[in-house]
Amino acid sequence: MKTFLYFVLFMFLAAVVILLAAMLGDLGAWYFAWLIGTAMIVLVAAAGAALLDTQEDLAATQPGPAAARDA
Amino acid sequence: MIDATVVELSRTQFAATALYHYLFVPLTLGLSFLLAAMETVYVTTGKPIYKAMAQFWGKLFMINFALGVATGLTMEFQFGTNWSFYSSFVGDIFGAPLAIEGLMAFFMESTFVGLMVFGWERLSKGQHLAVTWLVALGSNLSALWILVANSFMQDPQGAHFNPVTLRMELTSFTQLIFSPDAQSKFVHTSIAGYVTGAIFVAGISAWYLLKGRHVELAKRSFRMAALYGVLATVGVITLGDALGFVAAQAQPTKLAAMEGLWKSEPAPMPFNLIAFPDQSLQRNEGAVQVPYLLSLLVTHSLDGTVAGIDVLEQQAARKVENGIPAVLALKTLSKDPHDAAALAQFKAHEQDLGYGFLVQRYAPDLERVTAQQVQQAARDSIPPVAPVFWSFRLMVACGLLMLAYFVMAVLYTLRNQVQHQRWFLRIAVWMIPVPFLANELGWLTAELGRQPWTVFGVLPTWMSASTHSVGYMVFSLGGFVLLYSCFIAVEMALMVRAIRRGPDAPDRGDARPGPRPGIAPRPVYAAAHDQHPEG
Amino acid sequence: MEIYALLQMTWWLLLGVLLSGLAVMVGMDMGVGTILRYVGRSDLERRVALNIIGPHWDGNQVWFILGGGAVFAAFPLIYATAFSGFYVVMLLLLWTMIVRPLGFEYRSKIASPAWRNVWDWSLFVSGAVPMVVFGAAFGNLFHGAPFHFEWNLTSVYTGSFLALFNPFAILCGLLSLSLSAMMGALTVMNGAEGALHQRARGLAQVAALAGVALFAIGGVWTHALPGYRLVSGPGAGVAQTPLQQAVATLPGAWQSNFIAQPILWLVPLLGFVGMLGALLAARAGRSHLGWWLGALAWIGVIGTAGVSLFPFLLPSSSDPSVSLTVWNSSSSQLTLLWMLGFALVFVPLILWYTSWAFYVMRGKVKAEQIAHDEHAY
Repeated sequence: MKTFLYFVLFMFLAAVVILLAAMLGDLGAWYFAWLIGTAMIVLVAAAGAALLDTQEDLAATQPGPAAARDA
Repeated sequence: MIDATVVELSRTQFAATALYHYLFVPLTLGLSFLLAAMETVYVTTGKPIYKAMAQFWGKLFMINFALGVATGLTMEFQFGTNWSFYSSFVGDIFGAPLAIEGLMAFFMESTFVGLMVFGWERLSKGQHLAVTWLVALGSNLSALWILVANSFMQDPQGAHFNPVTLRMELTSFTQLIFSPDAQSKFVHTSIAGYVTGAIFVAGISAWYLLKGRHVELAKRSFRMAALYGVLATVGVITLGDALGFVAAQAQPTKLAAMEGLWKSEPAPMPFNLIAFPDQSLQRNEGAVQVPYLLSLLVTHSLDGTVAGIDVLEQQAARKVENGIPAVLALKTLSKDPHDAAALAQFKAHEQDLGYGFLVQRYAPDLERVTAQQVQQAARDSIPPVAPVFWSFRLMVACGLLMLAYFVMAVLYTLRNQVQHQRWFLRIAVWMIPVPFLANELGWLTAELGRQPWTVFGVLPTWMSASTHSVGYMVFSLGGFVLLYSCFIAVEMALMVRAIRRGPDAPDRGDARPGPRPGIAPRPVYAAAHDQHPEG
Repeated sequence: MEIYALLQMTWWLLLGVLLSGLAVMVGMDMGVGTILRYVGRSDLERRVALNIIGPHWDGNQVWFILGGGAVFAAFPLIYATAFSGFYVVMLLLLWTMIVRPLGFEYRSKIASPAWRNVWDWSLFVSGAVPMVVFGAAFGNLFHGAPFHFEWNLTSVYTGSFLALFNPFAILCGLLSLSLSAMMGALTVMNGAEGALHQRARGLAQVAALAGVALFAIGGVWTHALPGYRLVSGPGAGVAQTPLQQAVATLPGAWQSNFIAQPILWLVPLLGFVGMLGALLAARAGRSHLGWWLGALAWIGVIGTAGVSLFPFLLPSSSDPSVSLTVWNSSSSQLTLLWMLGFALVFVPLILWYTSWAFYVMRGKVKAEQIAHDEHAY
């Protein structure tokens, strides 16, 4: 039941977001692009950091090729 | 009639204080979202190094933020103190975004910045992350409203002149905030801030990597900054193009000045890569041209053209002549707002009211306006070409340079090799001033290109200023120069000091397990690690 | 037309709300700056005092910026005329105010006593001077300012800057300084313990007493001042410029609103009750109660000025008929309407998250904690 209520809540939120985004996209496409773009830029930067952690973990477990690449 | 020297001094003061303020703003815009990115990684992965990153860069953020806030205070009031007529003439429209900026954005930013600094132990991880995001959102929304106001000066949308109240009044709020100029200018400026933040973080990280200090933190900061920066730079260039496209329609004189386009030419127009514009002879010396490029850039087609300065001046002369009866009618309406004949005359000519004001500089009472005075006013309608032409080109050059740099940076950091490329790290440190320079040049392009208007086509600069004495203006300009010089010296010293000390010492007890919010001892204003020697 | 007049009235009231917000929130931080060197005798004590407002001064300061923005948006002619006319005083206000953020942020970045002393003094100046100017500006509204308009509403100010520091304006400036010092002291009481708390407690009572005395003197004084009265004009809710009205000056005119509507006497009464209440609360050591009473006192004092002047906002002493009123200096109906919409959404939101920020940061700042924490301010 709890999951279902959450589902309903998020579906409602999604509908609101879609409506607002449609309106904003209509009136101010660049503003909309800024919202999406900023979120993307921040998330790509964050993902890049997580990727670096993974790369270093990999390099630690497989010293051979990674160390060669690193040099 | 306002003393021309006073107008020039007022312009100098506004430009100086705005350019100075604008040294700090872009870093706030960009670094805030970068802090949010770092803290997002901290909250999702739980690795303490990202908290250390958020706190260290947060400390530098605050040093910069303090001066941004301080210098922003004077900007908010300078329209009233120094541009009195401007303020009453367009305050009905221009004041609203400034007030909304306070209500919607600056309050949010400033309230939460206190929690961002002091709240590490009092807030849960998620709450603190939300606070950091709100600071970033607040600072950028702040920029949104300021730029909505600014773009009204470039392209006055959603307003008309009311002959009863003798001022511009709002007709459509949505037109004001969704004007193409406001949109593209906001996104261009905000993302230019991201680039600034990215170069700042990447440059300082590169310095640490060169010194072999804080390597883990610096590598991660560099990686995040490089990715953040490359996407932002691409965005800035895209929006710069959009902004040029908008200007081609809204401000043809600015575009002509940016491109040094003295004579209208048939399509496809060549692009002046290098030229030395001469305003008095109205031509370029030593031009190096790229064929077809200008049509492609400003009209996005090969057969498009834009008007050159020769045509624009002729148009302006006609508008000046048409504007004179509008101003004369207004004089009558000022005495008697119900004079029907004057109102009819005004309505017939209101489109060119601003150009009537433009010639008033030479013929104050407008009773007898000579053809020569009309010509003078028409010539005034062209901005100073060489400064606009060159600040625009240098800004673009900075942008392209940063794009090349970030592409390189991403290549190296994605291979996790950047720490070994010492030559590149050195370049990264030297790149730090470039975005700041580009930001200032962008301001100059936009605002010099708007001349001779404060509100394009509506209100000339010469009549916008307050009626101060030269003595007052010298006093205030001197005061600003003195005060601001001290400020920048202190700020730079503290910034360099904080960078040299680095992020080593744990800040506000992050080594301890976080106590429950609300029961922690009250945190205190964190300072640099006063008594600690380097290390 | 009815709607326009209603909007103008609403914005006049909202301006009062924003100015009160400014006075209460910025005034308290500036009060702490003003009394810093008196209540805090050692560096440690001063750091405690600064850390009490540390998380909040930045947000509070936005009330000042919002005040400026709201005047610009709702009464552009006031913004244009007053701020350019009072040029040198405005510069004094701005130049001292912009030192404050740096004082907070930079003071404790370096341990040297000389460095910190410089910033302590600059916090004093940037606390005391703006509050005096803020009060003196209100005082000058009662006198009117020497300005007139050209045909196109270019405002020309003909007075000297020294004339702005006349006795009545100085009295108002001191009143505002006392109230701010009182609020600053109560704020320090809220967050401090020991000797710091005690000194602040004493000072809060002195400042409240000074406020009561100055407010009373000011009240009597306004009877002697010549006031302004709107004789004829297009009236409320009509688009107009200040060039189409007639204004007379006559003694006692600043009391006419109170005489016409005796219930308005409650406004100055609120000021007195607030100050006396804050005094008693400070004496009893109940500083939180005192702070809220102090806030009411501010509302009473600013409200008294507003009610006395209404409908004037900025009378002209050199050409009374172009005096600026609520009716002739406001924005258009559409702008006022949009701004009201934004204010109705965002002011409650601001109050809500500001309260939350204070809630998160509640409690005392411990001196021992700062003493043992080398990273502390």
